[in-house]
Amino acid sequence: MRVWLGWLALVLVLSVGLAQQRTLTVSGFGLNQNLIDKNITRPFEARCNCKIVWEVGNNADRLAKLAARKDNPNVDVALLGDYFAQLAANQGLLERLDTSKLSNLNELYDFAKNPLGGNFAVAFTTYAISIAYRTDKITTPITSWRDLWRPELKGRIALPNITTTQGPPVVWLVNRAFGGTDTNVNPGFERLSALKANVVTYYNQSAQLAGLFAQEEVWAAPVGRFAWGNLLATGKPLAWARLSEGQAGVSNVAVLVKGSRNQELAYQFIDFIISREVQTAQANDLVDSPVNRNVRVSADKAAQLTYGLQQIASLRTVDPDYIIKVRDAWIQRWNREVAR
Amino acid sequence: MLSQSPARLAAWILLSPALLFVAVFFLLPVVALLLESFHVGQTYGLNNYLAFFADDFNREVYWRTLWISLLVTLVSALVCYPAAYAVLKINPRWRGLIIGLIILPLMTSPVARTYTWLVVLGREGIVNKSLIETGLLQEPLRILFTEWAVFIGLLQLMMPLMLLSLVSAMENLPKDVVPAARSLGASEGQVFWRVILPLTREGLVVGGTLVFTGCVTAYVTPALLGGPRVTMLATLLYQKAGVTVDYAAAAVISVVMLLTTLLVNFLLRGRAAKTARAA
Amino acid sequence: MRESRFPIVMLGLALLFLVGPFVVVFISAFSGDRTLAFPPSSFSLQWFAKVLTVEAFQASFVTSLWLGVLSTLLALLMGIPVAYALARYQVPGAEVIRVILTSPLILPALMVGLALLRYFVLIGNNSISIGLLIGHTALLLPYAVRVVSASLANLPRDIEDAAMSLGANRLQTFFRVVLPNIRGGVAAASVLAFITSFNQVPVSLFLTGPGVSTLPIQMLLYMEYTYDPTIAALSTLLILFSILFVLLTERLLGISKYV
Repeated sequence: MRVWLGWLALVLVLSVGLAQQRTLTVSGFGLNQNLIDKNITRPFEARCNCKIVWEVGNNADRLAKLAARKDNPNVDVALLGDYFAQLAANQGLLERLDTSKLSNLNELYDFAKNPLGGNFAVAFTTYAISIAYRTDKITTPITSWRDLWRPELKGRIALPNITTTQGPPVVWLVNRAFGGTDTNVNPGFERLSALKANVVTYYNQSAQLAGLFAQEEVWAAPVGRFAWGNLLATGKPLAWARLSEGQAGVSNVAVLVKGSRNQELAYQFIDFIISREVQTAQANDLVDSPVNRNVRVSADKAAQLTYGLQQIASLRTVDPDYIIKVRDAWIQRWNREVAR
Repeated sequence: MLSQSPARLAAWILLSPALLFVAVFFLLPVVALLLESFHVGQTYGLNNYLAFFADDFNREVYWRTLWISLLVTLVSALVCYPAAYAVLKINPRWRGLIIGLIILPLMTSPVARTYTWLVVLGREGIVNKSLIETGLLQEPLRILFTEWAVFIGLLQLMMPLMLLSLVSAMENLPKDVVPAARSLGASEGQVFWRVILPLTREGLVVGGTLVFTGCVTAYVTPALLGGPRVTMLATLLYQKAGVTVDYAAAAVISVVMLLTTLLVNFLLRGRAAKTARAA
Repeated sequence: MRESRFPIVMLGLALLFLVGPFVVVFISAFSGDRTLAFPPSSFSLQWFAKVLTVEAFQASFVTSLWLGVLSTLLALLMGIPVAYALARYQVPGAEVIRVILTSPLILPALMVGLALLRYFVLIGNNSISIGLLIGHTALLLPYAVRVVSASLANLPRDIEDAAMSLGANRLQTFFRVVLPNIRGGVAAASVLAFITSFNQVPVSLFLTGPGVSTLPIQMLLYMEYTYDPTIAALSTLLILFSILFVLLTERLLGISKYV
């Protein structure tokens, strides 16, 4: 009996001890977490004398968790895709940022300073969505979204699931490529439905793609630029398609969760990840393309990133408000017509 | 009567912590979830269930879960009957090792066990490679992310339960029934159908119930080996609760799961009782 | 009389199917390649080294150990008295009690996790760790009751009566006579319960949050993010642990009786 009481006491001591440490809880993507720990977690912990606890997962999962814990939030800062952040703002989950507390804000490109309006978010990276493909298996280069329908790709492509950040932009781009408009998405959905024979699986995490490419399950897949470093690490011969329809651009943003009890630390953290040093380190490790205008990387690295104002300006940004408006209907339709 | 009441009191003192614990921390939340599945606006009704089954995607998920689970149960019974019979006939010196090999998977993390199939069944996996090398295949088969991958994963996950149930049922067979039937001139097939099967039915029911329930409620296997194209009830439940925050739908799915397993359990037991009486 | 070879062949195939994939994972775990492929083109121990350096594994391993130990203890603390009461006293409604206490086994585990998340953590505003502990304890309770009941059934009542006729009271009899005699069953129940908790996925799936996660959940997460043989190495370690467990417990306790 005494032994058991001893165990219980030990647990209590442990949990109290943990509670007393100053911690900042950050909800993040989880991709390249080891590099993020090197570039962000450890340097920040050393600087703030606190501990960062990460909660990782895809945008949809993490937004669901934020919503579920609305009345009693356990996350301070969330890193989200732009329209997921907009969804969170619409649900009243976010605090407006006091930008005067972000000393590095003025180093950012203008579009990154207040991407959602209302000062709900700061963008820390922006990236292009295009198609990554195997150059040894696909000898005629992919130059259009329409190339995914080639018969030689039967059973060889993976598409982002509709609930991922890349899902709706890819539907939007495909719809445009086949002559659809924002008010008529039938061409897109009809063609995507006909693409089933070519699709191995629909991925929920960009990180799954590296595995799918490495294991020869997949030869081509639409993907965000942020996963490119990961894909190259598979050692397979891969190319980033230059699409005639242009590439879509999406930003990832940092937001402050309403009800956060560590606001001061949260501001320090957001300010830290948009600083020149962090943005440079992240760019050099091909984790995130920089939005801090003072970041300089070698031409080599730049070629693997979405880098520089000129390239960013060439992206076709998808309006977050539009995606939010159509998302529920698209999810329904996707489940019914495409993903089965 | 009076002398009994201190004993009765003692019994209740011994029972109450566990009963209280299960009632408060376990049954209460589960009952609340049950009620939520019937909750429609301010009143209660079947609308959530009707809405769930009105969607043909959900119906497809339900049928897929049902047929894969039934197939796994059937195939594991077909494989495990002769295998269990062999376990008993084998030299007792080896039996411990064999039983150990059957238990080993049960003691191993289902995540590790499912992961093994990702390595084995892939396009570059050992199954495809050997089929191509032996000339049986020209092109690698796509197995991962299909219903067959889920079937194979579940079969491996659940088979030990069937095997152990049947082994213990056969251990309880009277030692001389099989030789007696043989000496009366029964063929091997007759021995099985007329003697072994009726006498081990209880083991089959237990094993079948465990396997079927395990399949219907398994999460890891369909999540890893099936992916979004092979959604099953368990993965759909996680999606509804974890991704779309639709707790009513998640509650409906969990009740549907529960009822399905109870129904099959009930049917199996009913059949076993009927055939036992007939025999 | 010639017996057919068919049953033996089926047993061989079944065992190959059950254990064969483990061999593939063993070999992949020693891969010297950067990504998972079979057979590997070279061999190394790098992935075992990597397992030890992944922070998420360390933290969740500790959580899983604690969770397993505490929920096993709680389940035994509540389960042994139940088994004893059901075996030694005539309790009205014993069948109903049995059904209530085994209900955690009948209900889909995902449902249990969801119910605890929804009502205990979100609406009841309790911590995730406590919810996790409760979920696991409820799940282990049936095992504790069942295994301890089985070994109590094998214990003749005469020894207890003898002890009491020598002047020991119920409590003394329980601790001095009953408990030492059923320790095999208690040990078997602990091992089974601990392993069940350690490998548990569906209940834990909903009951994780920032900083609170179990090893199987972290493995699932890691697999979504990385496709190197680290998980093969970790799986190999876990399988080796299972082999060790099976050998030890089968030799010491004959655990196959209780599975």
